[in-house]
Amino acid sequence: MRRRRLARAAFLALITLLYVFLIAPIVIVVVASLNAGRFLVFPPEGLSLQWYVKFMNSGPFVRSFFFSLRLAALTTVITTVIGTAAALYVIRHARRNNALRMLLVAPLQLPGIMTSLALLIFYYAIGLGGTSYLGLLIGHVVVCMPYVFLTVAAVLYNFDRSLEEAARSLGAGSVTAFRRITLPIIKGGVIAGAVFSFITSFDQFPISLLLSGVGTTTLPIQVFDYLRFSFDPTAAAVGTVNILITLGVVIMTERLVGLESLYVGGRQ
Amino acid sequence: MRARSSRRPWFLVVPALALVVVFFVLPYANLLVMSFFMPGKAEPYDAIPTLGNYTSALGDSFQWWILWRTLKLGFLTTLFTLVLGYPLAYNLARAGSKVKGMLLVLLLSPLLVGVVIRSFGWMVLLADNGLINSLVKHWGLAPHGLKLMYNEFGVLVGTVHIYLPFMVLSLSGALQNIPPDLELASRSLGASFIQAFWRIVFPLSLPGVFAGCLLVFVLAVSSYVIPVLLGGFKVITTPLLVVQTAVDVHNWPGAAAQAVILFAASLACIGLYFKLMNRAMRGLSP
Repeated sequence: MRRRRLARAAFLALITLLYVFLIAPIVIVVVASLNAGRFLVFPPEGLSLQWYVKFMNSGPFVRSFFFSLRLAALTTVITTVIGTAAALYVIRHARRNNALRMLLVAPLQLPGIMTSLALLIFYYAIGLGGTSYLGLLIGHVVVCMPYVFLTVAAVLYNFDRSLEEAARSLGAGSVTAFRRITLPIIKGGVIAGAVFSFITSFDQFPISLLLSGVGTTTLPIQVFDYLRFSFDPTAAAVGTVNILITLGVVIMTERLVGLESLYVGGRQ
Repeated sequence: MRARSSRRPWFLVVPALALVVVFFVLPYANLLVMSFFMPGKAEPYDAIPTLGNYTSALGDSFQWWILWRTLKLGFLTTLFTLVLGYPLAYNLARAGSKVKGMLLVLLLSPLLVGVVIRSFGWMVLLADNGLINSLVKHWGLAPHGLKLMYNEFGVLVGTVHIYLPFMVLSLSGALQNIPPDLELASRSLGASFIQAFWRIVFPLSLPGVFAGCLLVFVLAVSSYVIPVLLGGFKVITTPLLVVQTAVDVHNWPGAAAQAVILFAASLACIGLYFKLMNRAMRGLSP
């Protein structure tokens, strides 16, 4: 009995350590952003907001921050509409068409950096130019759309169509039936997909690396360019703002639809 | 009106399908074609067919060595995420629904923070004058500090951290489908915890192990940010070489050929893995 309790305690200690490992670098970014010195050392050197001031006063960082926000918002609007529409069709009219389903989620299966390279070369071939805003936007939409498709498809899969048919037989038009019956029921999946899409675009690295150029630099690329050559704690302030935005979006989702829907949707 | 609504509303799927075909399938097809073109002098390529990109890439021992390192890091990442992810997944699958929500937040939140920011977090911890080294020196454990990053160790820490949640989600999906009663039944019939685990739980979770390993391996061999930031250009992997060839050297056909070789090598590894896994499943089933 005692040995069993000991084994259980050891197991829980291991689990705790593993969660610490998962969370540590994120907590460290927040701590480093408030640190007075360039490096986080022990004993600590005191608190300061100087890295936030540096972030606010840095033109490139602020510009790319707002650029990334706008790009992610536009990407999310497009992916939510076309991803939801595709899920509606696939689940209702082509449920057994595995090839179609696999094709629609294919951008998740291949590495982003290779997709990025393929797109760069392709844009050149069709005369879109290497680094246009449109090209960058299309790249983001391609890799974010599958998330919306998956989460909406997961919700639709268990949707009872007789509800919609009842509304139709009671005289509702197809648009009314969709707006009043279907949409409220699949809302959770749509919101979860939009959230995934926004975060994936806002944090997108490989697609932006090769497709963003002068004037279209996203925040992750800006941070990466700083960190590639030197260790700059301004990145910690940027990272903390980034983490707070993500946290806000996630808490909002949890309130609206619950996180299980993200989890279930993401793994189907 | 009725007749129209029973027709398939294919226009719903057209935008998404067109997007994937035009801006995903075609570019990859184009990449494959590109790998058989000549590298150009003024332009990034000349449309003259050749096998030269493959012969020069495959004849270069440096590139072989880099490919070997890429696959080795991918394999080690998969192994470590499996070993560390299994207890996490088991705990998650058996947790009550209230605790599970909290654990999922902890597990998913790293996924929601960009890879550049997370790599920066590791840089703060692992740098020569980072937090861990400052602690190590403070306690006098190693007077000159430890070399924790800008080497393969640092890269491995980063990739394991980034891909661990993917492994846990794959595993817990499979573990959740195993009724806890099975385990309890075997325990009540006298099996020890370890016996019940090896004879019941682990074999039944193999589909999850299979899917998780595949996913992590494919993601890990193609990671770019972590080798750059935590390897500091000292740990060159094939994706780095591909980007360098394409962007710095401006040799698109060469980069395309290197990318195709990486895909082929990962496919070969996956094929081998399928074979081994099939044998393992057969060996474990009664």
